[in-house]
Parts: sequence; C-alpha cells; structure tokens
Amino acid sequence: MKTDPVLERLREASWRRKLTPAEEAQLQSLLAAHADARADWAAEAALNGALNRLPAAPVPSNFTARVLDAVERETRTPAKTRHFGWSWLNRPLRWLPRTAFVVLVVGVGSIAYHHDVIEKRKARAQSLLTVSELPAMASPEILEDFDAIQAMGQAPAADQELLSLLQ
Amino acid sequence: MSADLDPDAALMLRVKQGDTVAFTGLVDKYKQPVLNLAFRMLHDLTEAEDLAQNVFVQVYKSAHRYEVSSKFSTWLFTITRNLSLNEIRRRTRHPAASLDATHPESEDQPLYQVEDRKTRSPPESLLQGELEQKIEEALADLPENQRLAILLCRQEELSYEDIARVLGCSLSATKSLIHRGRETLKIRIKRYLSAGAWSGPESTQL
Repeated sequence: MKTDPVLERLREASWRRKLTPAEEAQLQSLLAAHADARADWAAEAALNGALNRLPAAPVPSNFTARVLDAVERETRTPAKTRHFGWSWLNRPLRWLPRTAFVVLVVGVGSIAYHHDVIEKRKARAQSLLTVSELPAMASPEILEDFDAIQAMGQAPAADQELLSLLQ
Repeated sequence: MSADLDPDAALMLRVKQGDTVAFTGLVDKYKQPVLNLAFRMLHDLTEAEDLAQNVFVQVYKSAHRYEVSSKFSTWLFTITRNLSLNEIRRRTRHPAASLDATHPESEDQPLYQVEDRKTRSPPESLLQGELEQKIEEALADLPENQRLAILLCRQEELSYEDIARVLGCSLSATKSLIHRGRETLKIRIKRYLSAGAWSGPESTQL
C-alpha cells in the first residue's frame, strides 16, 4: 500500500501542512479500501499532531532592537576603513611589525657573526706577526749539553755543619 | 522569481540600499521561525537567541550578495543551518558542562538549576510537559540532517525543493531524510502516539 502514488502524495502533503477537505476525503476513501494502511496513517497523523503542538521558543521582546544594535556595532568600524580607502593597506600593515622584527633580528645576528669572524682573523694575523718578529734561534749544537748543565743546577745543598767545623 | 512575486525579496532590495525599516520588517517576520529552528538544533535558549541574532546580522552584512532570483526564506534558513552546524561542531570540539550533571557535593542535586518558564495548571502541565519532553528528546536524538529536514518541513513557506536547497541535497534525498527521521520518531514515541496523547488543539508554530 505504501507504494500507492496517491497515498504517497497525500502522505508527503501531510508532512508539511494540514490536508485540504478534498485531500482528506480522498484519503478516507483510499483507507476504506485498504484497511491495512489505517494503523500506519493513524501514527502519521498522531506524529503530525505531536510536532505541531511543540511550543514555540519564546522570543525576547527586545530581540529586534538587539539585532539592530548588533548590526550597528558590526558595520560601524569597517565603514570608517572603507571611507578612507585604506582597506588595501590593512593586510600588509598587519604583518609589518612582525616582519620588521624578524628582519632586525636576522640583521643584528648577521652583523655580529661577521664582526666575530673579522676579529678572529685579526687575532690570527697578530699572532703570525709576533712569531715572525722573533730573532732566529741558536744552532742546535749549543743545546748538546743542555741536560748536563741543567742537572748541575739541581746539586744537593752544601753541608753547613761541615763548613762551620772547617772554619 | 521577481521582486513583485516575493515581498521578502522586495524588502531585501531595500535592505541592499541600507533601508533599516525594511530590515526590521524582515527580522520581525522571521525571528520566530529562525529562533525555533536554532533552539531545536542547539537545545539552549540563550545560545539559540545569540545564534538567531547572528543570522540576522549576517543577512544584513551579506545583503549585497543576495540575488533576487532566489527565495529569501531559503537563503535565510540556509544561513541558519550553516551557523547552527558550525555551533554544534564548535561544541563538539569544546564540550561544555551538561545541565544534567550532578552537583559534586550532593549527587541528588543537579549542578545547574534552570527556571521553568512554562506556566500551566499542574495536571495539564504534568501530562503535556512529559509529552513535549519525549518528542523533544526524540527529535534531539535524530541525526542533525534528519532533524533539520523535519523542522524545515514544518515551515509552510518552504517547498520540498526549497528544503533540498537549504540542506544542499537532492529532492529524493531530502524526502528520504524526512521519512527516515519520522520513522525513528514514531518508534521512539510509539506509546504516546497510540495513546492519542496529542489529540488537543494544535499550535501553529513548530
């Protein structure tokens, strides 16, 4: 019975609105011929009634005034921006402080790095200059008895008691 | 569709020119259905009010993009749908405390106590309140697209084609969503439906 096109049309109409007297009469004649569809239609009608009886949400008395206030608030600021024709600048200018900060940090870092490199190079050149100015070293033969001469300086201290007896 | 055929489109043309009176007319006409839809999508009256307000602010701000060829109500409910789904997704990412949560020091007390704004005589209130609660719960448990389809279906000014446009799916898919959602609702509240609990006078708005 559900596939009956007339009944389906009436069902879809009943979902949206109350059936007209003519539609209602048509429905009753169809249901008289198809008793098996009556229970289903009773449930449809009851559900329509249930949905129609749901209470409306209470609208605050100042709702329209609130909407107008909100519209006024929302449209006020952008209107000024449009008036002066600066809107095309808004987007880039919003990023300008961040971009400037990044450029500054990178620039200072780069200068500091290069300064450090130059300072190290200067120090290295100075060391080379100092070494180059030293007089030429003595011949290696002079150092032949170096160990023996150094050991002489490490001789045991004089026996002071013996010296005093001899005196 | 020309502006002569759709009075709302004619009002939107005036809104495009900055006519606040025309905008006020549209807000007054649609604030109830927009708030109803937002409330049944979010289940929080304060959030629904804020969302409905944002919907109309969006309408005003986007007025220059509105094309008279499209129906105003379809466009309006599409904005409502998008903002509602955004809010639901935002909630999923940042879940708030449940109103059903119990108090940490006393488990038989709820964490939050909300004033019941409905005023009915006690016996009627008891029955009607329970029935409303059941259907609200059943609606709330439906998948978002089925719930939206059923709620939009009750907006008389929207045809099935309009609902399909709002949902962004085909006509057959839209009808299928409504059918599946309604079948689920019938199963969930079968006991109340068969008892004829909703045999009284109907309200005019969902």
